[in-house]
Amino acid sequence: MYLKELECSSPCVALDDLILTTNTPTTAGSKMLENYESLFEAEVVTRLKQAGYSVKGKINVGEFGVDLLGETSYFGAVVDGDNLVGATSKVMSDVDAVIGLDVNGEQRRSASLFSFCNLKPTYGTVSRYGTIPVVCSAETVSITGKCPNCVEKAYRAVVGHDDKDGTSHRVESLDKLDQAKEIKKVGVLTAFLDKADESVKDKVQKAIDMLKNNGVEVVEIEDETLLLAKNAWNILMSAELCNNLSRYDGIKYGYRTPNYKTIDELYTNSRSESFGEFIKHVILFGSETLSTENYMKVYDKALRVRRVMVEKFAELFQSVDAVLLPATSKSEYKIDEVKANKFIAFEENLFTAPASITGLPTVTVKGVQVVAPAFSDYKLLDLARKVR
Amino acid sequence: MDKTILSRLQKLNQLSLSDKEEESVLAFFADREAECEALSAIDTEKVERMVHVLPILTVVREDKEIKTFTRDELQKGAPETEDGYWQVPRLVE
Repeated sequence: MYLKELECSSPCVALDDLILTTNTPTTAGSKMLENYESLFEAEVVTRLKQAGYSVKGKINVGEFGVDLLGETSYFGAVVDGDNLVGATSKVMSDVDAVIGLDVNGEQRRSASLFSFCNLKPTYGTVSRYGTIPVVCSAETVSITGKCPNCVEKAYRAVVGHDDKDGTSHRVESLDKLDQAKEIKKVGVLTAFLDKADESVKDKVQKAIDMLKNNGVEVVEIEDETLLLAKNAWNILMSAELCNNLSRYDGIKYGYRTPNYKTIDELYTNSRSESFGEFIKHVILFGSETLSTENYMKVYDKALRVRRVMVEKFAELFQSVDAVLLPATSKSEYKIDEVKANKFIAFEENLFTAPASITGLPTVTVKGVQVVAPAFSDYKLLDLARKVR
Repeated sequence: MDKTILSRLQKLNQLSLSDKEEESVLAFFADREAECEALSAIDTEKVERMVHVLPILTVVREDKEIKTFTRDELQKGAPETEDGYWQVPRLVE
């Protein structure tokens, strides 16, 4: 694990390695950026420091944050015995919060497996200035903590408009965060429960019981439309990743191969020698979805399905205040199983894609994920307190 | 998807795969193609595409002078430079 640990006496955070810092490498878990040091720090880092937080260290991520739980990192997977656990679980006892870039749901999976609390905020409420761009239309800075209060404290430190981020909400829009509706009625998406194992179903049942005990009405929703969010998400994620990673060419920064004579060899060998197998697959698939032959049939279709998913959520929110679904299909991942099924993340996206593709906020707590209308971030944390 | 298309994709993306990686990519594409096909279950003929999830307007900054980085700073992370330029192999023989 790549971790530079510093002493700190004030409230402290760990940052995942997709968030730029100065005087410390930011690698994105890739050989391509093994020794890369940024000239500037991410806006979230600046804001955390202004709020009195210290940065205790940086933690490992899967290459460009698109895998299951960091297993594709050039610096190695973080395991505990036979289980793939990811870096967050290893540092949570030492920090008040872990700040990461939720590219493909890794933080939500980690929170689900280890009963941490994770907030994936409404897209555009936290600045992405200084985060390594991978899936720009959907990724958000997310916060994981031991409890909802720890998460809310860190979220309040980083939320807000930032002129430097073109997708940052204006101040007047952010007022909606304080005006969101309280979550009194939650709908359980049963179609997703059917795709999870018994241990996850148990966690969901326990969460439902806790919500009911705290006065929240819980109903079942039978609707299968959102199951297809994963299919559209895998297309959009791959296409955007392909475009964003085209900048890594071995010229201005990052890895440069020693094996070249021509400029084409320099580009090709630098990229081929430094990108991992998983990322190469995603780049090629993303490129294919954007080809002349497939653009309308695949990429354009996925963009239209994204709207269908947004409208589906809006329809559901007519009858409930939030929806509940698992964040993972199981409660642990064996490292051998993940090695044997290298693209398991594309399957597990079933649970994380609905919120990713729509930009809606989620709170993951006690092994379940709750999705609510945009700007319900604080209300989701209120709900998380009821589950705790 | 076949090896000809895969070869074109590798060239486009400046990647070179081993034979083993090529086989793996072809299997990966087969899974993804099945996912794409499944989307036909949703009728999107009258649905507008959605590039951005929320109505975020273009943010315009005030046109004022700000501190930027010097050439030396920007080239600090470069693999190879010479006389303030990024060094690349000869492009024209």
